[in-house]
Amino acid sequence: MDLIESYKEELKLIRKPWTKFWVGLLILFVLLLPWYSPEHVTHICIIIFIYSIGALGQNLLIGYTGQISFGQNGLLAIGAFTFGHLVGHSIPWPLAMISGGLAAGLFGLVVGFPSLRLKGPYLAIATMGFGVAVYQTFVNSETLSGGRMGLLIKKLTPVFSLSPTNFNYYFNLFMAAIFLLLTYNIVSSYMGRAFVAIRDNDIAAEVTGVNLVRYKLLAFFISSFYTGIQGGLYALFMGYVEPNMFTFMESITLFVAVIVGGLSSVEGAILGAAFIVIVPQLLSQYKGLVPVVYGLTIMLILIFEPMGLYGRWMKMRLYFRNWPFR
Amino acid sequence: MRKVGVFVLVLTLLLAMGGHALAQSPGVTEKEVVIGWTTPLSGPAALWGVTALGGKAYADYINSKGGVNGRNLKVILKDDAYNPTRALANLQEMKGQVLAVAALLGTAVCHAAKDFFYENKIPLVAPYGNVRIWAELPKEKLRYVFVSYPDYEDEAFYLTDYGIKKLGAKKIALFYQNDDYGKMALVGVKRAVEESKGKASLVETVPYEVTERALATHALKLKESGADTLVIYPTMSHGALILKEMAKVDYKPKVLATFTLGDPIMYNIAGEAWEGTYIALPGHSGVPGADPEATQLAENLIKFNPEIKGKEYLAVHGAVSMAILVEGIKNAGKDLNAESLIKGLEKIKDWKPEGIGAPVTFSPERHHGVNASRMGQAKGGKHVPIEGFVLYKPRF
Repeated sequence: MDLIESYKEELKLIRKPWTKFWVGLLILFVLLLPWYSPEHVTHICIIIFIYSIGALGQNLLIGYTGQISFGQNGLLAIGAFTFGHLVGHSIPWPLAMISGGLAAGLFGLVVGFPSLRLKGPYLAIATMGFGVAVYQTFVNSETLSGGRMGLLIKKLTPVFSLSPTNFNYYFNLFMAAIFLLLTYNIVSSYMGRAFVAIRDNDIAAEVTGVNLVRYKLLAFFISSFYTGIQGGLYALFMGYVEPNMFTFMESITLFVAVIVGGLSSVEGAILGAAFIVIVPQLLSQYKGLVPVVYGLTIMLILIFEPMGLYGRWMKMRLYFRNWPFR
Repeated sequence: MRKVGVFVLVLTLLLAMGGHALAQSPGVTEKEVVIGWTTPLSGPAALWGVTALGGKAYADYINSKGGVNGRNLKVILKDDAYNPTRALANLQEMKGQVLAVAALLGTAVCHAAKDFFYENKIPLVAPYGNVRIWAELPKEKLRYVFVSYPDYEDEAFYLTDYGIKKLGAKKIALFYQNDDYGKMALVGVKRAVEESKGKASLVETVPYEVTERALATHALKLKESGADTLVIYPTMSHGALILKEMAKVDYKPKVLATFTLGDPIMYNIAGEAWEGTYIALPGHSGVPGADPEATQLAENLIKFNPEIKGKEYLAVHGAVSMAILVEGIKNAGKDLNAESLIKGLEKIKDWKPEGIGAPVTFSPERHHGVNASRMGQAKGGKHVPIEGFVLYKPRF
């Protein structure tokens, strides 16, 4: 859509003055939201921020690198329980959080190895097996999961006299912002271009000098690190984790976020995370119809907008930019 | 001067309106009381969501009789799919709209939401989950929580004690889920055996993992123990599986089961193997088809929601939970808010909701309203109570 004339321009996060204005307005809106919105809206935004991190990671893997993974529920559990156990042993939470991410990242590497030989549905099934195995391990091991009573995690104490909800909002917004900027950085670096090259044609990518083993595994590691951090933040926010919070449905949820939000789009991952959190919430009064209506909504989006919510947003932008011409 | 007069009038009106808004308690108007209920209506535990349908049908039934203290009950029913995140989001959304919340469902959901009620000054009535979650809360937080669920350890003691004293059990075995739920049962069983002073012994304990489906070796191990009485603490499906496997190896001890297997739907899952099983029926509900009051209540509920038919056991559970809340609202009087509701609930003494279950008592010092069991037996496709309720000391 935009004509980019130099590499320096390509690296710019925001290129046009008007875009800067709108982004500034959006940041202001997000920063002030807890002060004028009902508390439950703030609460829902917190969950969106937490899921955004996982969706961003999943988008790097599926959208940018073209590697399908259905093992995210296992990685989420690894991140959450690692965080929970470390915090329980008086390790400072930032260190515990990073350790949760790293633990998930290392397991992600293990999941990534089949990707060197497998593709498409075969890779999806292999990764799904990992997710199921991790879930079963936690369910069956009381030492790891805390059993039926789960693992209690001490929540953070709010600062600056903020209410717990507002504090969690700003805390998770900050975390999501860090990962958002990190993702922008990754996709506009050599690494990001290597991911895209692998997705488009891995043999051609290898011919042009992309080390397939390194970058495929790196994609799995980074994506899993994001998911582990999501697990840690989730555990910290809920103050409690147990294995049934990490069923296979969590993998599907993150997958839906990426597909509905829009593949290969950083903004799409955020929109997708918002979709998977807001839609069930809006439909929660329709009793057992939630999964049906939720599923139909996804189908309609995919049929009428295969590029996801971000694709729709781009079309709207183009329409208004060219208005009144088509 | 006239403008000043109008200004003063408008200001007075605004202040009066503001004052009125302040006096109004969330979820209460002159004509209506709003109750929140988040439960699994979809997902893996959707069947248990029937409790909420029963609770809502009971509210409609009360409304048809003129409501409570001139106010109708409105239930905001939300699906949480047994997911603590969604349950917490639902509760957040209900904040400011509801007077109280009824019956959270699931240990994970109860755990995730345990601080919510104190932090937001919203009473919670009759949650379904391990009571030890609440027992661990400090007193000021517990003030907003009213529980009528049995304690697993006390119930296991009751089952084993009954087996020893009434069924002449000499050699007892325990089949249990290998987690806190099953392990609390193990403590109760051991306590009962110790108190029997040598009349009975615990000859075998066989744990299973929740993910296991092949229970043939477990059944053989139980048979080899030579136990004449078996206490079981499984899920419904594992309960059915172990009994079927035991029947295959021709092992037929007396079986005593926890209340989570109290739904006669067990006959559909376990078939003939279920016949004769002793079940600890919980004090916080009744058995439609066996207790006349529960049968009558189930019939009334079906009139307001025909969907309940065939699932009356769980629906009555929900209705009884709602009945406790209704009694609290009734006792609170016309000036209804969270504080008066708490006081109203704390006035409940030796009272049976719709004449069902064991008597419920709350007080400022007691928020575990009923901790009781009675023995029932599976006979001819029904669960029939065979003795009165045995009351245990409340846990908090």
